[in-house]
Amino acid sequence: MAKTKKDGTRLQQLLANDAFVSILVVLLGFLVGTILVALVGRKPSNMYKAIFQAFSGYNLDNGKWNPRYLFESINYAVPFVLCGLSMAFANRVGLFNIGAEGQYVIGMTVAEVIALLGPQIPVLHWLSILIFASLAGAVWGGVCGVMKAKYEVSEVVSTIMLNYTALYLSRIICLQLPGANTFKTANYPKTAMLTNPLFQKFTNNSMLNNGFFFMLFCVILFWFIMEKTSLGYGMRATGFNKEAARASGIPVVKNIALSMAIAGAFAGLGGGIVAVGSFTYGRVISGQDGYGFNGIAVALVGNCTAWGTLAAGYLFGLLKNAQALMQSKNIPKEITFIIQGLIVVFIALRSGLQILNNYLDKKRIQKEASK
Amino acid sequence: MKRILALLMVLVVMTSIFAGGSQEASSAKADDTPTIRLMTDATGIDDKSFNAAAWRGITAFYGDTVANASNRGKYYDVVTAQTQDMYVPNLQQASDEGYSLIAATGFTFADAVEQVASQNPNQNYMIVDVNWLSSPNIRQYIFKEEEGSYLVGLVAALQSQAEGVKNAKFGFIGGVPSSTITKFEMGYIQGIHAILPNAEIVDYYTNDWGAPDKAKAQAKNWFDNGVYCVFSAAGGSGNGTIAQAKEYRLAGKNVWAIGVDSDQYEDGLYTKTDSAVLTSMEKKVENATLEALKLVKEGKFEGGIVEYGLAQNGVDYAKTNKALSPDVAKKVDAAKADIISGKTKIIGKYADALKAGVVPAGLGAID
Repeated sequence: MAKTKKDGTRLQQLLANDAFVSILVVLLGFLVGTILVALVGRKPSNMYKAIFQAFSGYNLDNGKWNPRYLFESINYAVPFVLCGLSMAFANRVGLFNIGAEGQYVIGMTVAEVIALLGPQIPVLHWLSILIFASLAGAVWGGVCGVMKAKYEVSEVVSTIMLNYTALYLSRIICLQLPGANTFKTANYPKTAMLTNPLFQKFTNNSMLNNGFFFMLFCVILFWFIMEKTSLGYGMRATGFNKEAARASGIPVVKNIALSMAIAGAFAGLGGGIVAVGSFTYGRVISGQDGYGFNGIAVALVGNCTAWGTLAAGYLFGLLKNAQALMQSKNIPKEITFIIQGLIVVFIALRSGLQILNNYLDKKRIQKEASK
Repeated sequence: MKRILALLMVLVVMTSIFAGGSQEASSAKADDTPTIRLMTDATGIDDKSFNAAAWRGITAFYGDTVANASNRGKYYDVVTAQTQDMYVPNLQQASDEGYSLIAATGFTFADAVEQVASQNPNQNYMIVDVNWLSSPNIRQYIFKEEEGSYLVGLVAALQSQAEGVKNAKFGFIGGVPSSTITKFEMGYIQGIHAILPNAEIVDYYTNDWGAPDKAKAQAKNWFDNGVYCVFSAAGGSGNGTIAQAKEYRLAGKNVWAIGVDSDQYEDGLYTKTDSAVLTSMEKKVENATLEALKLVKEGKFEGGIVEYGLAQNGVDYAKTNKALSPDVAKKVDAAKADIISGKTKIIGKYADALKAGVVPAGLGAID
C-alpha cells in the first residue's frame, strides 16, 4: 500500500490512493468498452441495461424484477473471489501464483471424489468435501512453495506446469469414478450438495449456495491473517524485501512455503464450491474453467487486499452474468472480456500515475523553492 | 486532469443515454412467427461443426443466411456459455424471456436442460445428441452417425479400388472418446470392410477437440506408412488431418482426408479446383432445428426422442469433390437405399460390433 502524502495537492492525494486508482481504471475500461460497442454499430445502452440487470435483477425493458439475476452474479463471484485471494495472498509475500487454475482443478477433483465415495452424513459430508478440497489445493500450491523456498525453483514455472498436470490428473481420476463417461460422473447424493433451500426460495431458483458463506469467511480470514497477525506481518515483510526480512529474524523459507499452501487452499476451496455448488454431478473436464487465470486479474484490480479482491471478484462475476444478458440484446459477449482485459492493462497505469505524481511533486517543490 | 475526468464521466453517461432507444429482441411477439434461442457451449456458432449447423437451420427457417442474418434479434438469437456453470442460469434466463423454442446443442447440456425444463413445464426445449432425458417438454434429437460414416467408409474403399491402390490402409482420428464418436468409427470401419474385408485399419484419439497439431502429426505418420485415407471425427482437431492431406496432395502424393459434420470440401482446397477432402460425413443438425421450428409453427411440437438417420435425411455423405468418381457415387447411393429400406443394418456400439465380428479388436473406441 502506498502512503498517502499529506502535503500534496488534492489530486495527488487521490492518485496516491490505490482504491481510487482501481475505480478509475475500471471506469476507464468501461468507457473504452462503450466506445467499442458503439464502433461496431451496437447500442451501448443495451450493454448497460444488461449490466444493470445483472446488478439489480431489474429488467429495464419490461420493468420486471427477478432476484435470480442479482444473486446469480454473486454466485459467479464466489470462484473469482477465491481464486483472486489465492493470487493476492501469494503476491503479498512476493510470489506470483499462476497456479490458481491447477489448485482449483485439484480442489474440484477431490470434491468430486468425496462427493461420490464419501460417507453420506448430512452436513458432515459437504463440510468434509470443502475441507479436503482446500487441503488438496494447499498441497498442490504448497509443493511449489517448498520448491521455491528450499531449492529456488521459480514458482511461476512450477505453478503453471502443475496447471496442466492437474487438468490431466483430474481426467484420469474422474474417469474412474462411479458412472463416469467422457464428460460426467454419476449424480451426487443429496448430502454432498451445497444447495440452500432458503436461498433457492428467495432468489427464484438461482444457483447461489452455501459456498457463499465460505467465500465471505475466506475474505475475512485473509484480512485477519495478513493485517492482524504476526504471521501476516512476517509475510508482508518477506514480500517487501526478502533479505531484510531474513536479517530481522523472520522465517522467510517457512513463510514462502506456507503462503503458497494458503494460497492453494483458497483456490482449492473455490474448485470444491463450484464442483458441489453449481453442479449436481461430477464433471470430467476436458478444458479449464478459467477462474484461476481470471483470479490473477481479480487480484490485480483488487490491489491484492482482502476487500479489494472481494469487490473486484464481484465485478468479474457481474460481468460474467451480464454476458448472457448482453448476447440476448445483440451485444457480443466478447465485450466483457475486452473490458476485463482493458481493466488489467490499465492497472499498469498505476506505475504511470506514480511517475505523474512524482513529476507533480517535483514541480511543486520547484515552485515553492523559486518563491 | 480533474476536468478531463469529469468530461470522461459525462461522456459515459451521455453515450449510454443518447444511444438508448428501442429494444429489438423479444419485442416481436405480435405475429405468430415462432421465436427461438440457441444455446451453445463455449465454441459458439463459428465452430464449423454442429453449432454452426444448428444456426444454419435456424437462419434458413426465417429465410436468412448465416452471412445475412437480418432477423437476428427479432425472431432468433444465440447465447454462448463460456463455462459449464453458466448452462443452467443461461437456460433459466432464456425461459424467462419467453421464446417459442429453446435449443441446446450437445450432450454436455443434458442435465442443465432437464433441470430447467422441469422447472418450466410449459416451455418447449430441444436438444441434439441426447436421448435419455425424461421431461415431456424436451424434443431430443439423436443422429445415426454410424449410417453416414458407413457411407464415407464405402466411398474411401471404393475410391481406392477405382484408383487401383494396392493394400490401401485406412485411418480414423477421434476427438475425446465417447459413445458418439464410437458410432463414427464403427460405421466407417464397417463401410470399408464391406468392400475390402481385409483392409488394415488404424485409429487414434487426440483426447482434445482443439488440437489440430496432434491430428496433423498422426496423419503425417500414417500417410508416410501407406495409409490412403483418414477420416477424422475430432472437431477442430480434424483440421490438422485436412491440412496434412493438402500438403501431401500438393506434393503429388495420393492421399485423402474425409471431413465431418458439415461438407468440408472448401477447407481442403489446395488449388482453386482441387480439394484434399474426398467426401464428408454430413450430420445435418440444421434439419433438426428446422423441423422443430416448423412443428412449433404448426402447433405440433412435442417432446420425446427423435432418431435422425439416412431415412430422415439426418446424415449423408458429400459429393462435392469431382475427384469422387461417378461410379463410386452410384454404388454408394445404392448402399444408401439399402440402409434406408432396412436391408443393411449398421452397428453403432463397439461391443456389439466386436460380437458381430465386423470390426477388429484393440481399437481406441469405448462403449
